[in-house]
Amino acid sequence: MKVLVCVKQVAVLGDEVEFTDDERDVDPDYLDFALNEWDSYATEEALRLVEAAGSGEVVVVSVGDEDMEDGMRRCLAMGADRGIRVEAEGRLDPIQVARALAEVVQSESPDLVFAGVQSSDSVQAATGNALAGLLDLPSVAVVTKIDLGDGKATVNRELEGGLVDVVEVDTPAVITIQTGINEPRYATLRAIKQAEEKEIDMRQAGDLGEPGSRVRKMFVPPKGEGAEMLDGGAAEVAQRIKEIVQEKTA
Amino acid sequence: MPRDPKYDILFEPIQIGPKTMKNRFYQIPHCNGFGSEKPLNQAHFRAMKAEGGYAAVCTEYCSIHPESDDTHRVSARLWDDDDIKNLGLMCDMLHEHGALAAAELWYGGPHAPCMETRCVPRAPSQIPSDFEHLTYPKEMDKDDIREVQGFYVEAAKRAREAGFDIVYVYGSHSYLPQQFLTPYYNRRTDEYGGSLENRARFWRETIEQVKEAVGDDCAIAVRMSTDMFMGEAGTQLERDCLPFVELVDEIVDVWDINVSGISEWGEDATPSRFYESGRLLPWQKAVKGVSKKPVLGVGRFTSPDLMVEAINDGALDIIATCRPSISDPFLPKKIDEGRLDDIRECIGCNICISRWEIGGPPLICTQNATAGEEYRRGWHPEKFEKAANADNDVLIVGAGPAGMECARVLGERGMRRVHLVEGQDDMGGIMRWIPQFPGLGEWARVVNYRKIQIDKLKNVEFIPNTKLDAEGVKNYGAEIVIVATGGYWATDGLNGCTHDTIPGADASQAWCATPEQIMAEGKSTGDKVLIVDNDGYFTGVSLAEKLAEEGKQVTLMTHLGHIAPYMHFTLEAPNMHRKLHKLKVEIVTYQIPTEIKEGNVTSAHVYDEEHLTEWGVDSVVLVTQRRSNEALYRELKDSVGIDALVSEGITGFYRIGDCVAPRLVADCVFDGHRLAREIDSDNPEVPLPFKRERHVIEREAVLA
Repeated sequence: MKVLVCVKQVAVLGDEVEFTDDERDVDPDYLDFALNEWDSYATEEALRLVEAAGSGEVVVVSVGDEDMEDGMRRCLAMGADRGIRVEAEGRLDPIQVARALAEVVQSESPDLVFAGVQSSDSVQAATGNALAGLLDLPSVAVVTKIDLGDGKATVNRELEGGLVDVVEVDTPAVITIQTGINEPRYATLRAIKQAEEKEIDMRQAGDLGEPGSRVRKMFVPPKGEGAEMLDGGAAEVAQRIKEIVQEKTA
Repeated sequence: MPRDPKYDILFEPIQIGPKTMKNRFYQIPHCNGFGSEKPLNQAHFRAMKAEGGYAAVCTEYCSIHPESDDTHRVSARLWDDDDIKNLGLMCDMLHEHGALAAAELWYGGPHAPCMETRCVPRAPSQIPSDFEHLTYPKEMDKDDIREVQGFYVEAAKRAREAGFDIVYVYGSHSYLPQQFLTPYYNRRTDEYGGSLENRARFWRETIEQVKEAVGDDCAIAVRMSTDMFMGEAGTQLERDCLPFVELVDEIVDVWDINVSGISEWGEDATPSRFYESGRLLPWQKAVKGVSKKPVLGVGRFTSPDLMVEAINDGALDIIATCRPSISDPFLPKKIDEGRLDDIRECIGCNICISRWEIGGPPLICTQNATAGEEYRRGWHPEKFEKAANADNDVLIVGAGPAGMECARVLGERGMRRVHLVEGQDDMGGIMRWIPQFPGLGEWARVVNYRKIQIDKLKNVEFIPNTKLDAEGVKNYGAEIVIVATGGYWATDGLNGCTHDTIPGADASQAWCATPEQIMAEGKSTGDKVLIVDNDGYFTGVSLAEKLAEEGKQVTLMTHLGHIAPYMHFTLEAPNMHRKLHKLKVEIVTYQIPTEIKEGNVTSAHVYDEEHLTEWGVDSVVLVTQRRSNEALYRELKDSVGIDALVSEGITGFYRIGDCVAPRLVADCVFDGHRLAREIDSDNPEVPLPFKRERHVIEREAVLA
């Protein structure tokens, strides 16, 4: 049983934001970095499947520069067996990331490929699906439960309005994992130290081609008009909100 | 982040008499236990607030003469030239930070028992103090009045010489000038008693004389209580105070306005249990309405929005803080720098005040473990040295007040990794359920402040829902292990009165409960509840209030002479008594249960053991004593053994907080802070000696 988990070290905004001179990105001085929340759930799910199978491995894969390895190390501390980083610099769009990942998937031949539903910084929810498209693998997005069978899996797909779609999918497949599917484990200090010794294989990306999208400009959206500030105590404010809701829904 | 422009008004300078405050932040007079006789502690304590951005910082009440000796409590003193030297250091250090120094000149009258000086205090009328038992004053004749006014003038000159910029003629809290103004204290029939003009005469003349003596160099401040809540006998806003303001406004440079007398001064230094911030604003606004001079006053302000509102609403010109400045001396600076979520907000528990009421020990603060430690331990609330052993990883087991504070400070000290591991789903420990008691919501700030700070520290990770056993701790991979597993209420009635369990007491029974079973686990009680309180602080009375509010018939039994005696020190007692009385809680004192059975409790009078009383009840709540939850610590130390821990690479193994011995939350926060500050000392388990400010003799010189 081999599960390949695509993970990303995402940018986290502080209270203040400045943009780079070309206005096409956030000035990195104003960013913190952390493992994408969805990816910790994906890693946990992969670990549980391999543990249930009794043998196998979990391989985490990232595309980017050396800073990506911080997030990968967290996954390795949770229990992932090894990592592969595809060296790439600069801003890549989800299609280019998927092209880089596709090469790794082809060389590793995993039973399952996991990705988070989306990354919390770009929020495009495209990489996992693009990867499946490039590899011509079946894919299921926004998954909240996985029951693994022989050559297939039964998975719950989260839909709008609280609906759940239960589907069967042939494996290998690309599945994007939703938060809440499990409770990700915490790494002990010992596991964190041991993760520092685990292998992260660095590979060069092939031709990643043209991006499918480009950033033209980043800016803080202008403030809209028409906000009504409610003054007064909690009871008065609550009363006014009730009236507004009634007006809008009448 | 720059300051939000909506707070700009707080940073505008303001003229008071001959002096200018650089902004609107003022530290009101408050005690710290240092007085004039621990001048280094005093100066460093006050200077921290100046460094934190306060534009003016005051002494505590500052006695003008040996006749005003508050021993056992500690006041500052300006009795002679040596006092000038000692308090002068405070002035110099404040001035270095660009802050003004203020001295609150004080004559206590009958409330000052003169236990050290053995003088006799003087007062308008010979009535013993309503605050200090068995203290009778001498009734002042005209010569006495002239003489005591002279004491004020001489002390004001000494204050000026020490370097003070602001000099008070302090009346509030029922001290001498206000005693003259108040019929409750002033029963005179001469020109110093009777009409308002007469009752105001002593204070007016004293202000005039002090102004004449030092008014060109110092701003003259008058601190007045504008309502004593005593009906006709007390000072009243409309009848006495507003006319008094109009009478002397011309010679006063700044008004310091509050309420209450001395015996219930919790109406001024309001516990959060009963009052929100800004409770005094109506009185302050009334004075500002008739005065042409700046008005300052307290209100336990921690929110800059409320501060701005107080100014814009015409209630105050200067924001005075007492407790919030202890909790966070850097309150002004944090507002100025737009760091509102770094403000360590006062929780209004009044543990600081309790120390003065106890009579003497240095103040402590639940939120700020560095309060009072500026000089003697050299602790700065905002600065942390990188630990010499910062390359170590730390495991803290338990995220209660001690564990959280320890994690925060170790994070600030740059430890490589700190893991704060907690069995529950969130931080807080006992402070998750204590703030659920009626009125104690603000106490949750102990948790909230630390959660925000820990979240900001990249080297500290909080790990919830994880119960570690000894094996788990041993194999966790930390070099330093700190056990902070807290404590629990005894389930068998063990108590500090009989030093034994109570026969039949058993909180595993459905009809018997401990405080945390009710508050944290939701255990229910029957309709008729007997609470056994041998603890004497907030837990028993809070449970009584909560259960009575739920409609239960509550009996609160203590072996002590009062319920919750510690609440006298925190100024919560009077309103707590009122509340329980209104809720018809039956108070039983001097009784200790001798046997507890389902449906029935037998108690004995503590001074007459043969006198037994039967109580038919549905439920019994045991607030008898707490115990350390030391199972994990003992297992690691005794079963696993230190050698086995060392062989796993654990070179430091400590415990903190209630896990060592159950204590005040303030002491637990201190314990966690102290260990983190000294984590790189030779033996972090034992506190480093602190600097003891004392007179050290030269033996040879004395004998010669």
